[in-house]
Amino acid sequence: MRNISTPALAIRGGALSYGTTTALTDIDITVMPGEAMALIGPNGSGKSTLLKGVLGLIPLVEGTMTFGESAGADTGIGYLPQTEHIDPEFPVSLKQVVMMGRYRKLGLFTFPGKADRHAVKKAIADVGLTNVANKRFGSLSGGQQQRGFLARALASEPGLLLLDEPFNGLDQPNRDALLQTIRELKAAGVGIIVTTHDLDLAREVCDTVLFVNGRQIAFGPKDDVLTLANLQEVFSDFQVEIDEHTVVVPGHEGH
Amino acid sequence: MNFLDALTTAFALPFMGRALIVMLVLSVAAGVIGVFINLRGLEFLSDGLTHAVFPGLAAGFVLSGHNGVLIGALIAAAAATIVLTLMSNNKVASDATTAIVLTAMFSIGVIIVSASSGRAGGLEQLLFGHLLTVTDTEAITTVVVSLIALVLVLLTFRRQVFRAFDSVASAAAGYRRVVTELVLNVAIALVIVAASNAVGNLLVLAVLIVPGALSRLVSNRLGGLFVVAISAGLLASWIGLAAGFSISVNGGVDVPGGATVALTFIALYAIALIVRVIRKGANA
Ligand SMILES: Nc1ncnc2c1ncn2[C@@H]1O[C@H](COP(=O)(O)OP(=O)(O)O)[C@@H](O)[C@H]1O
Ligand SMILES: [Mg+2]
Repeated sequence: MRNISTPALAIRGGALSYGTTTALTDIDITVMPGEAMALIGPNGSGKSTLLKGVLGLIPLVEGTMTFGESAGADTGIGYLPQTEHIDPEFPVSLKQVVMMGRYRKLGLFTFPGKADRHAVKKAIADVGLTNVANKRFGSLSGGQQQRGFLARALASEPGLLLLDEPFNGLDQPNRDALLQTIRELKAAGVGIIVTTHDLDLAREVCDTVLFVNGRQIAFGPKDDVLTLANLQEVFSDFQVEIDEHTVVVPGHEGH
Repeated sequence: MNFLDALTTAFALPFMGRALIVMLVLSVAAGVIGVFINLRGLEFLSDGLTHAVFPGLAAGFVLSGHNGVLIGALIAAAAATIVLTLMSNNKVASDATTAIVLTAMFSIGVIIVSASSGRAGGLEQLLFGHLLTVTDTEAITTVVVSLIALVLVLLTFRRQVFRAFDSVASAAAGYRRVVTELVLNVAIALVIVAASNAVGNLLVLAVLIVPGALSRLVSNRLGGLFVVAISAGLLASWIGLAAGFSISVNGGVDVPGGATVALTFIALYAIALIVRVIRKGANA
C-alpha cells in the first residue's frame, strides 16, 4: 500500500520561468495519492508550464516542490505531453514505444523481464490498442498515437501522473475509457494532474481544482473552487460553458 | 591473384589480416553509431567533427609521425565535440557559420602538413589512410578507440533510443538531455578518430554514414537496422580489402585500401537503393 498521509506532490510559493520571462507564479498546491487535480485556465495561462516544472524540464525559480515517496522526482512521474513531435518514419513498434515507459525501472545490464512485458501488455490493453501492438508507431492514426503515449505513461506505473489535455480529439468511447482509467488509477493510489478546458470533466473525476492565469487564481476542493466568481477571473473575455449553457463572461478592466 | 582468390587467401598475409581486423571492429562500432546518426539526423555534425579532427591529425603527424596522429586527433576531437555539443544546445551559431569554421579548420590542417618538409606522402596518407601498411601499434589503438566508442553507446543504448524517438519524453523520464547527447557525440568523435586512422579523414563519412542510411532502406524495425548496418560494414570491409589487394597486385598500382572499402560501401548502398525501388514498383 502507498503511504496516503504524505502528498504525492506539494508546491509552496512556486514560480516558473523560461529564461528571464516568468510564466507562472504563486503556486500553492497539494496533490494527495489517489486524488485527481483539474488544472484549468485559458490558452497560454501556464498549464503546460506547470507540468513541465513538476517534471523538472524547466526550473522552479521560487518556492519549494516536494514529492511523495512513490513519486520520486526522477522515476515516479508519468507524463502525457500536449503535443508530440515525432518522426512518423521512426522504426519502432507501438509495443517498443510503450516499453520506453519501463526504461527507468530497468537496470543498466538488465533486459526487460516478465513484469515489464506484462505491464506493457496491460497498458496497451487499457487504452484499447492490443490489435495494433506490433504496428509501426508512425503508421497509427493521430488518436491511436495519443493513446499509445498514454499507454507509455501508464506502463511506468507512476505514483504521479501528469496528463496535458488528454481529452482533446478523443471520441466518446475513448473519452469514457480514459475516465474509467483515471478512476482505476485513483483507486490504486496514483496522484493525477489533468489539464482541461472542460468543466464537466473536472466535476466528474477530479477532487480538487487549480485555476491559473499566469498565476494561481484559486486552488481547493472542486465544490469550493468551481464558482462563477473564479471563472470570471480566470476566463475574463472568454466564453465558457457552464452546465451546457454558453455564457459570455464579461471582461473587467484594471486589477 | 584474382579477386575471388583474394577474398579468401589474401587475408593469410599478416598485413591483410591486420587490416581486416581493424576494419571489422571499426565496422561494428560505426554500424551501431551510424544507425543513431541516421535516427537523430546528425550527419552534418558528423561531417563537422570529421573536418575539425583533421588539424589534430595533421599536427600530431607533423610532430611525431603516425603514432602522434591518434593523440592529435583525440585532442582535436575532444575540443570540437564540446564546442559543437554546446553550440547545438544553445543554437548560438547557424549552420553556415559552423560550415565556415570547419572548412577553415580543415584548410589549416592541410597547410600544417604541406608546410612541414620531410614527411613525403603525409597528406595523402592522412586523407586516404594507409590501411595496408598500418603498424601493430596503430592497429591496436584503432581497435581500442573503436571499442570504447561502441561501449559508450551500448551503455547508454536505451536512453539513446528514447532520445532519438522522443526528446521531450526522454527528458521527462529523467534522462538528462545534455548527458545523452554528449555521450553520443563523444562516441561519434571516437569512431571518426579511429576511422581517420584506418581509411583516412576524407573517407570517414563512407564508413560512418553509409551503413546507417543503408539500413533504413532495408529495414523498418529497430533491431533490423543494427543488424543490417553492422552486416553491411563487415561485408564492405571484406570485399573492399580483397578488391584493393587484387587491383594492387594485378594492376601493379598502389590503391589505398580505404578507397576500395569506401567504394564498396557506396556500391552496397546503391544496390539497396535499387532493390528498394524495384520492390516498391512491384508493390505498387
Ligand atoms: N519554451 C517557451 N519559451 C518561452 N515562453 C514560453 C515557452 N513555452 C510557453 N511559453 C509561454 O508561457 C506561457 C504559458 O504557456 P503554456 O504553459 O504553454 O500555456 P497553456 O498550456 O496554459 O496553454 C505563455 O505565455 C507562453 O507564451
Ligand atoms: Mg498547454
